[in-house]
Amino acid sequence: MELTADRLTKQYKNKIAVDRMSFTLTEGVTGLLGSNGAGKTTLMRLLCGILVPTSGTVTCDGMDVSSEEYRDILGYLPQEFGYYPEFTGRDFLLYMAAVKGLPRSDALRKTEELIELVGLGPAARKKVRTYSGGMKQRLGIAQALLGDPQVLIMDEPTAGLDPQERIRFRELIAGLGKNRIVLLSTHIVSDLEHIADRLMIMKEGRLIWQGEWHAGEGDLESFYISKIQSQVEI
Amino acid sequence: MNNEMVKRQIRELCQAPGPERKEEFFRQLKAQGLLHRRPRTISQGEFVVGQIPYIEKRIWVLSVLLLLFITEVCRLRPGNYPFAMTPFLAAGILVQTGRSFRWKMAEMEYAARFSLRSVMLARLFIVGAFNTLGLMIVILLVRPCFSYSLLRVFLYMMVPYLTAAWLGSVYERKQRADHGWGSVLICLLSSAVFAAAPVFLAWLYEERWTVLWAAAMILMVGGLSGSVRNWISRMEEPAWS
Repeated sequence: MELTADRLTKQYKNKIAVDRMSFTLTEGVTGLLGSNGAGKTTLMRLLCGILVPTSGTVTCDGMDVSSEEYRDILGYLPQEFGYYPEFTGRDFLLYMAAVKGLPRSDALRKTEELIELVGLGPAARKKVRTYSGGMKQRLGIAQALLGDPQVLIMDEPTAGLDPQERIRFRELIAGLGKNRIVLLSTHIVSDLEHIADRLMIMKEGRLIWQGEWHAGEGDLESFYISKIQSQVEI
Repeated sequence: MNNEMVKRQIRELCQAPGPERKEEFFRQLKAQGLLHRRPRTISQGEFVVGQIPYIEKRIWVLSVLLLLFITEVCRLRPGNYPFAMTPFLAAGILVQTGRSFRWKMAEMEYAARFSLRSVMLARLFIVGAFNTLGLMIVILLVRPCFSYSLLRVFLYMMVPYLTAAWLGSVYERKQRADHGWGSVLICLLSSAVFAAAPVFLAWLYEERWTVLWAAAMILMVGGLSGSVRNWISRMEEPAWS
């Protein structure tokens, strides 16, 4: 499976948020690094079909990202998300399962599995408004995993997680990346150091570096800073 | 002969043949729908039915209470005032449509298989169909209380309701994050206008102007359809751009 962006551009009135980006994502974990305002969120929204590009295309094995077929294999965690006030954690997942088209029996089974996976078992029947930031984030991660997505796009997934939860999340993502496309955006370099097979670095809407990254090749943070400072355009 | 040599010789002797007609094999799998086979998903009808429990309970309560109130007022005081109460029914529909944006669920819903469009259309359909059906029953029940024909009672009930729905849909499209008070205010104003209209336009409910009411209804249905279509087709840009 391949997710391909070809000369992808998104321009707002007076700003180019994503500037002629071309790349192909394959199975494995890809980390998207960039400072705040680099265009990571816009790129992720384009890859999810939420935003329409000004020019260029995004396809997944020939499927257009605006198609229902593509959304059927997509799991997405936005940077910011909310919840309906009457929802418990379990209700939230069952609702998202319904919007993702899962039959009721599958939704019930998958919801229970994911609640356990993200460690929300004791709080599953409590209102989401009583959850801490980390618990809400784990709930968001769980909804992204509903329906066994083949393409998993997560925008700042580790935001709000405590150190123990971050480690657990990294292990989970490393496992998921074995047989699906996983794209994670972050500005925290250490989140990617041990799990990303591949890295993309963005600055001011442009892709300034992409390539494979192997744990043990050195200090990723120093590498990232050197790339940001040198701004070598591909 | 050591172990390594044996292993190498076995590997050479038993080398697996290279893949032949691999592309054709995958093409066939794809044609038969077996490539990247996904678990069964629900149909559009099942999806719409599945959305019913997610409509807020207060919307159902408000609709039922309003329909009962309109029926009672028609029976006790069958003037032209009860017709001005129908815009409040539209408030429930309008509040539902902006709910995803209000509670920041829109982005997740947009990226799901059924997408935000389907979620919003399902909600519009469920609440709209319930209210319209309820109003039809009320019209049939209260018709004997009036000296008007069934058609005229139908038009007098539907036009204020559709006017509020149309104006409210235009407002909701532009002010998604608002907590629904704007729509409630539009319904209130529509109700006030239709309640006050006979005072200034005494001829409004005369039989000869039935054609005018029918034209107004067609206009409102057209306006509402256009507004909803516009809303649905240009959903993503104003929300996240």
